[in-house]
Amino acid sequence: MSATFTVGWLYPDLMNIYGDRGNILTLTRRAEWHGFEPRVVELGRGASEQMDDVDVFFFGGGQDREQALIYDDLREFKQDSLRRAIDGGAQVLAVCGGYQLLGHYYQTADGQRYDGIGLIDVRTEAGKKRFIGNVVVVSEIKGLSPSTLVGFENHSGRTYLGKQAKPLGKVTRGNGNNGSDGTEGCMQGGIIGTYLHGSLLPKNPHLADYLIAAALRRRGVDALSHLDDSAELAAHGWILQREQRR
Amino acid sequence: MIRKTVAVVAGKATRSLSRLTGRGGGTTLPGDVARIIDPQILTRLTQDLTQGSVVITGTNGKTTTARLVSWLLEGAGHRVVANRAGANLIYGVTAAAISGAGADGRLRADWGVFEIDEASLPRAVAEIQPKSTLVLNLFRDQLDRYGELESIAKKIEGALRSLPDNAHSVLNADDPRVAEIGLNLSRAPTWFGLDDPRVSSKTLPHAADARTCPECGASLVFDAVYVGHDGVYHCPNGHFERPQPEIAATDIELNGFESLAMSVAGTPIDMPLGGLYNCYNVIAAFAAAQSIGLEPAYIADRLRTFKAAFGRQEHIEFRGRKLVLVLSKNPAGFNETVRTAVELARGQNFVIGLNDRKADGTDVSWIWDVDFEMLKGKAKLVIPAGVRAHDLAVRLKYAGVTAEAPQTDPGKALDLLVRCTGEGDTVYLLCTYTAMLDLRAELVRRGWASPYWET
Repeated sequence: MSATFTVGWLYPDLMNIYGDRGNILTLTRRAEWHGFEPRVVELGRGASEQMDDVDVFFFGGGQDREQALIYDDLREFKQDSLRRAIDGGAQVLAVCGGYQLLGHYYQTADGQRYDGIGLIDVRTEAGKKRFIGNVVVVSEIKGLSPSTLVGFENHSGRTYLGKQAKPLGKVTRGNGNNGSDGTEGCMQGGIIGTYLHGSLLPKNPHLADYLIAAALRRRGVDALSHLDDSAELAAHGWILQREQRR
Repeated sequence: MIRKTVAVVAGKATRSLSRLTGRGGGTTLPGDVARIIDPQILTRLTQDLTQGSVVITGTNGKTTTARLVSWLLEGAGHRVVANRAGANLIYGVTAAAISGAGADGRLRADWGVFEIDEASLPRAVAEIQPKSTLVLNLFRDQLDRYGELESIAKKIEGALRSLPDNAHSVLNADDPRVAEIGLNLSRAPTWFGLDDPRVSSKTLPHAADARTCPECGASLVFDAVYVGHDGVYHCPNGHFERPQPEIAATDIELNGFESLAMSVAGTPIDMPLGGLYNCYNVIAAFAAAQSIGLEPAYIADRLRTFKAAFGRQEHIEFRGRKLVLVLSKNPAGFNETVRTAVELARGQNFVIGLNDRKADGTDVSWIWDVDFEMLKGKAKLVIPAGVRAHDLAVRLKYAGVTAEAPQTDPGKALDLLVRCTGEGDTVYLLCTYTAMLDLRAELVRRGWASPYWET
């Protein structure tokens, strides 16, 4: 029997706009193709069991109404287990609303602050204009090949990184974290936060494998098998080409 | 008055020019021009209607439902003006009203039947003052353009609240977010819905938006799911439940994309439209028609001979192949057209078309919420097409569906279709809006279809 690979999906019912299921499908299918038995643990409201088994957590974006509904639950049921899992070597991919909630706070246009759970050293403030469109990022993850990431952003929050968080990369198309410092996303101790959806992982299979490999390292897995990613990289390359022409 | 006439004449001239120069059907530009000359032109023109207007909004089904309502009114001897080509922003509606006006600038019609983009509803309702407003459903659609579902729902609620007491609101009881709107209105709406557990499932599809109780935030419990998150639901803590629909469809029978049958309060309906999602469009049109005084027996009789709108469910003969063109523009819609094609029509050959132009939505993330897994083991031929064909190819790969190489050029997609199928084969073309236009334009260029504004 092959070893299992477990994806922990935070609030699959409430935080799943923008086709976040694509990230889950990519992680599970690729884990399967790499020879593992994939499993998805759905971590809805009130759930905190099995979080220690999770290899990669996914935390997507939600609409304001749904985001308000998970706010207390995140603190009450998820925060401690999440911190423990990350300390143990689990990886986290947080997109958009999930990214913001893992930071220190989100500040609305009228100055009201909503505290995040502070797992990453970032803060977010509401901006006037919504950033919407395709994004190309040159990643700062060492050894990632290709070095580019492509996705679609749709956010009005402006996220700024503190000293402990490193940017996921630099934008060459689109706005990224805040539209001013040229950064997109963040990396800090096993957590990747980003505004990219599209979904992110299907067109960036190298990032999916990076997350899978990083999570499996604590279980003594050194390298993943080679997969035929021609379809994924063709879709990736098509976006690169079109955005460069614009 | 003179201003109105000038605006109408200028709009009409724009329409003729637009067609002569081959710039398409001229379905919105005349509206732009006329509104510059007279910003109140739409209000003035709709005041000329002898009976009034019906306005139709919602994420899915607007065009088909509007066409159904027009069909019913026309059959009863009314002159109807309608925005038929899916041009559903305020400019498209204005252009439609202008096309129905005479040289004196007066709109010569009894009824206006207008499909309205969800975000444009407040403005449209303020200008048109409809007798009856129909809200079909609220699904996740084109978030890049509209912002979030919640803000759309609030806009629709505001628009319905602004209507005078003698105006009807006709709402889908099965859609939790639409029901929430209706329950907040001071004047009770007319509720419609489906009531046939045999055609329901028990679980929500992946595309379903989170539906929670407006009172306590608990996730709603579904006793029946018909389309997307539309079904029979209640709050587990007893705060909120599906309103009882007074106009409900029972005894539903589905026959592929060909026909459907249902019963509405004892009136049997049998008509040439397919798919469960069209049951909603038919029951909605039925409810709207009744709200403005048409008789159930007449409605049922007239529906028998209905013809679907361009691209919604169009049949085109192409080099011996039978093409079935079905517009599929968001997860809820796509799931229903795939389901209908696979389960009801037993379809085996598919072209899936995805574009990311403004009218399609520039964000294609939503394809990951469509259950393309339904094609696995059932489809013999799947051609990913459209500007974003490569994204579709990846989506299909992760769904475990074997597909051909992606075809971003519509001509090459059609050539491949011919190579991979034989004469007499049926091929389903499930496409987003402009991907459909592109494939259709190629079929027109090759002489197999007529331009869309003539259908």
